Amino acid sequence: MTFRTKLFLIFTLALVVSVGLVAAAVTEVTRRAFDQMNAQHSDALVAQFQREFAQRSEDVVHRVQGIADAEGTVRMAIDLSRPKGDVSVYVNDAAGVAKAHQLDFLDFISNDGSIISSAEWPARFGYKIDWVLQPEDWVARGSFLMKADTQEGPALALLSVSRVRVGDKDLYIVGGERLGREFIASLVLPTGMRALLYRNLDPTFQAADLIDSTGPATQADQFAAIVQKEQQEPGEQIARINWTADAANAEVFHAMPLLGRQKELLGILLIGSSQHDVVTLQRQIMLLSVGVVGIGLLVGALLGWWGAARVTRPVRQLAEGAREVAGGNWNARVNVRGRNEIGQLAKAFNQMTEQLVDQRERLIQAERVAAWREVARRLAHELKNPLFPLQTTVENLQRAKERGYGEFEEVFHESTGILLAEIENLKNIVGRFSEFSKMPHPELGSVQLNEVVRSVVKLFEAQFGAVGRPPITPELHLDDHLPLIQADATLLHRAMENLILNAMDAMPSGGVLMLRTSPAADGGVHLEISDTGTGLTSEECERLFTPYYTTKQHGTGLGLAIVQSVVSDHGGRIWVESEAGVGTSFHIELPKHPPRRSVSFPISFDYEKEKEKEAEPEKHKQEA
Amino acid sequence: MSEAEDAAKAELGSLIYDNRDASGTSHGGGPFHVTAFEAGKRAVLAATEDYRLGRPFVDSIEITMGRAARDRILDLELNKADFAEIPAEDARRAAEHGVRVSRSKPDELLALVFTGGDEPGRGKPLSAKARDAIALSIDRAAIVNFILQKEGEPAGGLLPQWSSGTAFLFSTVADPVHAKELSAQIVPAPKIVLGYDSGDSLEQAVAERIAVDAREARVQITPQAMRRGLENVTDARLIRLRMQSKSPAAALESFIDGLAVTTGLEVAGLPDSASAEDIYNRERAIVSSYRVVPLVWLPRVFGLSGRVRDWTPPGPGERWSLADVWLDGPVEAAVEEGKK
Repeated sequence: MTFRTKLFLIFTLALVVSVGLVAAAVTEVTRRAFDQMNAQHSDALVAQFQREFAQRSEDVVHRVQGIADAEGTVRMAIDLSRPKGDVSVYVNDAAGVAKAHQLDFLDFISNDGSIISSAEWPARFGYKIDWVLQPEDWVARGSFLMKADTQEGPALALLSVSRVRVGDKDLYIVGGERLGREFIASLVLPTGMRALLYRNLDPTFQAADLIDSTGPATQADQFAAIVQKEQQEPGEQIARINWTADAANAEVFHAMPLLGRQKELLGILLIGSSQHDVVTLQRQIMLLSVGVVGIGLLVGALLGWWGAARVTRPVRQLAEGAREVAGGNWNARVNVRGRNEIGQLAKAFNQMTEQLVDQRERLIQAERVAAWREVARRLAHELKNPLFPLQTTVENLQRAKERGYGEFEEVFHESTGILLAEIENLKNIVGRFSEFSKMPHPELGSVQLNEVVRSVVKLFEAQFGAVGRPPITPELHLDDHLPLIQADATLLHRAMENLILNAMDAMPSGGVLMLRTSPAADGGVHLEISDTGTGLTSEECERLFTPYYTTKQHGTGLGLAIVQSVVSDHGGRIWVESEAGVGTSFHIELPKHPPRRSVSFPISFDYEKEKEKEAEPEKHKQEA
Repeated sequence: MSEAEDAAKAELGSLIYDNRDASGTSHGGGPFHVTAFEAGKRAVLAATEDYRLGRPFVDSIEITMGRAARDRILDLELNKADFAEIPAEDARRAAEHGVRVSRSKPDELLALVFTGGDEPGRGKPLSAKARDAIALSIDRAAIVNFILQKEGEPAGGLLPQWSSGTAFLFSTVADPVHAKELSAQIVPAPKIVLGYDSGDSLEQAVAERIAVDAREARVQITPQAMRRGLENVTDARLIRLRMQSKSPAAALESFIDGLAVTTGLEVAGLPDSASAEDIYNRERAIVSSYRVVPLVWLPRVFGLSGRVRDWTPPGPGERWSLADVWLDGPVEAAVEEGKK
């Protein structure tokens, strides 16, 4: 993943997270606002109900008191206070009076608590209502909720009691209104809200006792949990009912207990608030948020891409410059302006490459001097050996000539033979140096490495068991599934020859030469050539591939340099593992497809000049 | 057509044809004859001049039919009518409003009968214990004092005291404690539907009171109005039984016939020569079955204007004696009004 892509993703991610957080925060704030608004609505409705209730209570008190103050009632009280007062005369009075005063409940109750006349249940005359006789200040009590018996069954009533005293006898007037469908219908509710009343007339939840403004509530069973909770512990509570799987159809209910004189739970007022508008708005906000996020993402992506491109352009230029430097073009420069960190980095990069070029020039110069010194040393060393016999032979010839010995002819023939042999030796030395200088570029083709190994080993079979030399046993461990690679078989052959020759030189007392091939991890091949010779020191291992370095008395130091050159030309690598007294292993890894020709010469070589050298090998040879 | 209208027509007939013998054979015209008639609305009778028992005192009678009880009382109060039959429960109120009230002896029995049985069309049968509990829970005195406004008398037997002389032997006192004990022994608690005539406000009030009383005994009774001409399936119902004869045996016999149809009660008939003891035993047998619960005896109540003279309320089986009635003139009527 490129730096630009990473930067783009970071920008985008940051944008997504930011917009998401904002959207979530807006949604949450909105939800809370609506919840608060709902709560305020519910509170307002509860307050309205309480005001309505208080007003109704006061109204009921007034109406009942009005009945008590009416002339007919007073006459009734006077009549009944007589010793033989006949209550049966008034048995039908309550219904008419209740109707006149718009009361659902009205009972005239005698001094002993017996019902004289009942509007809500006319047939109940004569029966006693004991609670009305309890010592209580009914005026102070005002109105109160009560479970009242009616002909149709128990009902919830808002009652008030008035008393008319004549002499020592009381006439009680108990009147009130039914808390039912009409009462709920009289509540003015905002759109989306509704009120229900549960009449707690049974110890257990009864669906039929839950009514709304139109009659029995539908799906009343859904309220069972709320009612049961109120029955267990009366108090205001808020509950949510999901009518369907769609949250928009849910309702939040504010439950308010309605208590009687003895603080017993007589009813529960349920004020429901539809969640449709809230959920719809939340969904719209969510949709808007998604849209904003989407547009934000799109814009953010474009801006992020543009920003990332703008930010990474100098970095990419730096990377390209670094890549060019790594590829050998030390003259690469980065054209980045600005005084920021990137600009400073580019400036530093350019300075670094300039310094590198400068140092490279100096290093090349130093290396060249060192190389020439090494070549001079090697040449001096190589040439010193044949020159010395040449000098002594020429001196012998001069001495033989001056002395005039009769054996001059014999000395002459012997000396010229020596001279020719040493000159031949000098030619060989020059030839080896020339051969190293003429290393060709690989001619690539499909190569089976195992075959190359076998052909090289076959070439040396005679030498492994030569007479007068301790035997060397070759061991081949060749992988049959070795892949074909693109390589120059001739060069590989030559490299292996050098390695086998070195191995043979390392085993003057004989030993085992092991050659192992195996697939490499990157699809290429791996070759190991091991001997059981004397091994190398760590210092020798470090300098082993240096040209003209040798541990042998008559070596030129070019064999392993040639091997390294071949391996490098194939895009592979070579390394050595050695242990003194145990042996040495050379490892070569070759890729399946060598990279395009790359500069892999030691840093001391000038690439351009090296190209010129390749073009004019004879001239280089001569110069060498 | 209401029951009152039926009665009116019956009485109307008795005014026109009163000279039938025991076999029902007509022997000539009655004291009045019809001069105008609109079915269900109005009829005008004129005195028959050559009536064999003498010409009636009044020249004509204009009869308005289909008037509600309240309107009839109002007509009397406003002197728009001289004569009207009014419900017993309204007699007191009518009297308080200046209407002269004339009562017959209580000759109509209002009773609760259990009609449940295994036959199709009947309600569910109730056990004798449940019927007993209901019978014991009913406060007849409250019905008489409050609903009937002290008209009539509580009924324990099938014949009134004035007829049989043994009615006092039947208890009319409610025993709610015993009723509650009995109902507590019945599991599950009895629940019955009590039917009453949808056009009879008295029956409705009594049915509702019975339901209240039974509720105290933990018996659930649901009053249900029964529509005439429709099939009404109830477990019990209220019926009115009017005595057709002053003779207790004949009256009881007619009751037994009626109850047999309504309740399926099988009781042997009484001979004409039945003794008072026989009659009492037969009454006792019927009442003890708790299939029939006598509630109250109702008198027939008539409202009269101030100028009506010589009106005698009819006894059981007797006809209205309008032929003997005469009216005061304006002076007499004014004097009569002044006396009030």
